[in-house]
Amino acid sequence: MAERLVIVGFGPVAARLIDELTPAIAAGTLRVSVVGAERDAAYNRVLVADVGVGRMDPEALALAEPAELAALGVDVRLGSRVVRVDRARQQVLLHDGGRLGYDRLVLATGARAVLPNLPGMNPDPAANALPAGVTALRTLQDAATVRSAVAARQRVVVLGGGILGLEAALALVDEGARVTVVHHGPHVLGRSIDAVGGAVLGATLRRRGIRLVLGARSTGLARTEEGAFAALILADGRHVPGDLLVLCCGVRPRIELAEGAGLPTAAGVLVDHGLQAHSDEHVFAVGDCAQVRCPDSGCDRCSTSRGPAGLIGPGWRQAEWLAARLVQLATAPNSPAPMPLPAETDGVILLKARGVDVATAGDAAAEPWDFADDVPDDETDQGAQCSGEPRHIPVCTHGVPPAPVEAPLQVALWADPEHGRYVKMTTRAGVLAGLVCVGMPRTAAELVLLFERGSELPADRSGLLRLDGPEQLLQGIGTPDSSADPEATVCRCAGISRGRIAAAVEQGCRSVADISRQTRAGTGCGGCHPQLKDIIEQHFAAVAA
Amino acid sequence: MSESRRQAAAATGAGTDTHCPYCALQCAMTLTPATPLVEAPVEAPAAGARTIEVPGPAVPSAGAPAAAGTDLDVNGRSFPTNRGGLCRKGWTSPALLRSPERLTRPLLRGPDGVHRPVSWERALERIMTAVTEIRERAGADAIGVFGGGGLTNEKAYQLGKFARLALGTSRIDYNGRFCMSSAAAAGNRAFGVDRGLPFPVTDLDGAAAILLLGSNVADTMPPFVQHLQGARDAGGLIVVDPRRSATAAFTADGGGLHLQPVPGTDLVLLLGLAHVVLAENLADETYLNTRTTGFAGYRRSVASWWPERVQSITGVPAETLRSAARLLAKAARGSGCFILTGRGVEQHADGTDTATAAINLSLLLGLPGTAGSGYGTLTGQGNGQGGREHGQKADQLPGYRKITDPAARAHMAAVWGVPETLIPGPGLPAVELLKSLGRPGGIECLFVHGANIAVSAPDANSVVAGLRRLKLLVVCDFFLSETAAEADVVLPVTQWAEEEGTITNLEGRVLRRRAAVAAPPEVHSELWIMERLAAALRAPSSFSSDPETVFEELRLASAGGIADYSGMDYALLDSGAAAYWPYPAGSSGTPRLFAERFATPDGLAVLTPVAVGPEHRSRQSELFVGTSLALATGRLLEHYQSGTQTRRVPDLAAAAPVARLLLHPLTAAARGIADGDQVRVGNDRGEVHCRALLSTDIRPDTVFLPFHFPAGQNANRLTSAVTDPISGMPEFKTSAVTVEALPQPQDPVRSTAWQNASLSSVSAPSLHV
Repeated sequence: MAERLVIVGFGPVAARLIDELTPAIAAGTLRVSVVGAERDAAYNRVLVADVGVGRMDPEALALAEPAELAALGVDVRLGSRVVRVDRARQQVLLHDGGRLGYDRLVLATGARAVLPNLPGMNPDPAANALPAGVTALRTLQDAATVRSAVAARQRVVVLGGGILGLEAALALVDEGARVTVVHHGPHVLGRSIDAVGGAVLGATLRRRGIRLVLGARSTGLARTEEGAFAALILADGRHVPGDLLVLCCGVRPRIELAEGAGLPTAAGVLVDHGLQAHSDEHVFAVGDCAQVRCPDSGCDRCSTSRGPAGLIGPGWRQAEWLAARLVQLATAPNSPAPMPLPAETDGVILLKARGVDVATAGDAAAEPWDFADDVPDDETDQGAQCSGEPRHIPVCTHGVPPAPVEAPLQVALWADPEHGRYVKMTTRAGVLAGLVCVGMPRTAAELVLLFERGSELPADRSGLLRLDGPEQLLQGIGTPDSSADPEATVCRCAGISRGRIAAAVEQGCRSVADISRQTRAGTGCGGCHPQLKDIIEQHFAAVAA
Repeated sequence: MSESRRQAAAATGAGTDTHCPYCALQCAMTLTPATPLVEAPVEAPAAGARTIEVPGPAVPSAGAPAAAGTDLDVNGRSFPTNRGGLCRKGWTSPALLRSPERLTRPLLRGPDGVHRPVSWERALERIMTAVTEIRERAGADAIGVFGGGGLTNEKAYQLGKFARLALGTSRIDYNGRFCMSSAAAAGNRAFGVDRGLPFPVTDLDGAAAILLLGSNVADTMPPFVQHLQGARDAGGLIVVDPRRSATAAFTADGGGLHLQPVPGTDLVLLLGLAHVVLAENLADETYLNTRTTGFAGYRRSVASWWPERVQSITGVPAETLRSAARLLAKAARGSGCFILTGRGVEQHADGTDTATAAINLSLLLGLPGTAGSGYGTLTGQGNGQGGREHGQKADQLPGYRKITDPAARAHMAAVWGVPETLIPGPGLPAVELLKSLGRPGGIECLFVHGANIAVSAPDANSVVAGLRRLKLLVVCDFFLSETAAEADVVLPVTQWAEEEGTITNLEGRVLRRRAAVAAPPEVHSELWIMERLAAALRAPSSFSSDPETVFEELRLASAGGIADYSGMDYALLDSGAAAYWPYPAGSSGTPRLFAERFATPDGLAVLTPVAVGPEHRSRQSELFVGTSLALATGRLLEHYQSGTQTRRVPDLAAAAPVARLLLHPLTAAARGIADGDQVRVGNDRGEVHCRALLSTDIRPDTVFLPFHFPAGQNANRLTSAVTDPISGMPEFKTSAVTVEALPQPQDPVRSTAWQNASLSSVSAPSLHV
């Protein structure tokens, strides 16, 4: 008898879960229903801004095809909402009064855009009653609103200089919109970046034509006579005028269903390391709505749980793991859970934008001078550290001995604001604990890999900066100049040295063909023909002189 | 060689037109008997060395091979693939013919482990006795055959027949499983056919962009580089390699782009390129609608691979990825675009999927079957193409037929004149076959032809242990290779310049190999050996020692198959006709496949979505634990395959005498390693001791070892026998290793000598060590 599985929410994480379950569905091990509130099946939400500015088609974002899933036997319900979970009966109640029974329930309800509570804007997400000219940027429907504004080359105000706001702003300005970013903090990207990095990035954004209004607290909306958005009003009385206001103020996990069903929640739906809801072995949660914090108060891994990461990677990894677990439960319910999911490292943030390169991860706030005098050389330093910087306090958990005092953070910096380049490498015992990288793509790519692997950085940190140097700097260090060395190989294919070629020219070779006949140089790929010509030229120039 | 002598040779018309013995480019060359009067030969045998030279006529008449031992001069010959060019492997190839180490008599290993020359009768009798005993006791499947991609078409064909009809075993596979199987599986899946390049090499000349993934042609087939010039001039050469190889260096100075991903992430890189093509509306929609199936599912599979996500896995900056995709798309709409893959991306546990991803990208851009554009895989071994068509693969019968297909079996039974039931079913792919050596129910007796598995197979230590468990190991070779050294019976066979036959080059063109010199008297072709053994085993059907006779049968066998040779014969090939298969009787061959339709049932190319699974992630995460590094392996210009031949050519051995580990100076500094230091490279499978070669040409998280060297320098002691689930291809290219400095021997000249030697720099001098 197939187990009945109901998945609430049909976003990218649910799509991955269903993908992974496909063999089990085809084999009849599971019967799956998926309920999605949007009209569209799962699509890649990460790229909604690209659809918004009109440079990608919505079809290119699709992650699932309802017809194919239906053919497989999946019960796909789009534009349908679950209004209540009846855990006693193991049923979900749909907005149209329908009910679906389940053996296992997966909450994949994701997150919704945070709408700031500003006078002039009705922040009731359920009613979806934003005034004309105001939109979030989370769904394809939002994208359609933005798209028409871009098509009309309108002025766009982006509220929020976080990652989504900057990605939207850069895409918008690339596609011809006039864009102002209003951000409450002193620099964009908030705590993900430090002040210098934020300043360097801000300058880059301004060079790209984006107007930045920083340190700005919004207090309300000015609206046109028709009620549409006209300007964002700031606390200092300034108006930031525009035709469209795009709200990029973060997201909040959707946990109402779980709350209504009496499941424990914090920032998200609380689940254990097996993604199972506390106190109900039939309910699971994954992705943006789920917060891994197990009921064991002594659990080391959970003591720092801060809620869903809001990044897609961890959600997909959860989906893959949960799929294997659900199949196991359906086939061998009493078998122990497999290896739990590895703990996620701190999220890496890579700005998705063409031509602007920003990577940040981990601790961005440490500064080189924080620890300059903080070299532990005897035991008394331990106490000093614990009472000093909060970052140094070992995590104290019940029943678990405190972790050994960690090595201090060390910071290496490179700043070149004029050229839009900035790198900060924050390490603990040589391993990256944080990084900020602006305008240095190759360095950023390597640092992110090193951060995720937990690999030790080279002692000479500057070696990582040279990756973004011109090609000449990358060529073998210390490679001798071969233009005069008679031992240097000129023709790699045949293995002929400059000396032998020069001798052949001395003996009368006047052309590349002559040299080839005499020495075999130039008889393979032909790549050395310019050098052969040079050697001939040099010889006759010397003879003439 | 002097010009006067060359002209003299040309005037006599004594030259033999043939092709190089090494790689799949099969450069055209002319072999001419050297007059022993003028200069001393470049490669003189070492003083006091045993020699096989036999006095012969100075200039024999055209058509008849010169006497054994005659010196041969080699000249590049004008031909579309190499345009007269040869690399130094080709230039020095005659040295092999009269190497003092040449095997000239059968060898039998005595109970004391020493090989001693014996008569052919004695050697064949030893084989017969063991084969008969093992077959009766353990069944025919206890006998295995391991073939090679360097064998001529005739040998490859007759070897498959010999295994199945004379030995009666299903257990035959070949070293092509180590190189071409993933690309072959991907090609068959997408196009319904696998011909390395489904177009002549010269088509590349006009392309505005060429994406070269995991192939270092500047070292592996140097004359091929001529065909990249057009793309370089257009700024469109894109090379994907974790190492700044000689080929990747061609992208400098505006030649194109070098993408330097983390080893093992090529699949992700390709998914990312496809994502950009779709995201930026660069795909060829008309082509996708009219020539492919599976687009919707494929598009969904790449939707989640945006460039920044790809960057975080591959280390290739998102913007570089975008530039590459745009370059390819622009060329596809302009004067032409090619995507070519090599072993670097194929020799992985996900190699078939990676090759599929490359094909998918090419379909997205509308390349295959479009004039001036295309997708291809660069075959490596000399007859790597023909070698995979004629039935030495575990799952195939001649003509690229499936051994499980009843119609194919019936056809072959008719050609061979045997009942269909006599043809065994599918055997084991190479890695499985080798794992079963000397195991209960596994192989007890192994025949090896044209392969040096003690060096070239992954996890080489385990393979050698397997060879030592065998009851009988028979190896055919020209030299006492590392595998032959393990053999009970070693049979000396003919070399390329001593035999007739055909080779199918990397573009599917069938070429004639011709004898320029007679073989030493007691050296025989594998065809002759099979003929003798088949007769002794009272095998059904017929076996021949005459290449043309075998080719005539191969034509019949291939008729109606995918690789159909039925319309070509020696006379046609000797006329110089450009014969590309399929060449059914009555046709004039097929230089370009797919112009009208693909070889799939509905004529459409198949886009197969490929995914990056959790296994892939866990393999990647195991690569970089603590101080471990990714090991990539590959070739040097001077050497070929396991080095059995090239290590015995004095010029080549002098230029690249030993393995050197290429590593980044930052990586070296962290380990206290200086350039030229002796290092240990190790993992739980084995270790290699060699010198370090420091260069920023390689990623800091990656090291590179050439795989041409034996014993303590054998890179395949470190590679893993994990295989691709579809093709059976082993994971050669990415292994986790640790690297550490060894105590340095006192050697005052070491540091300068080694600093001057660089793998890829143009300044590499010859080292005489």
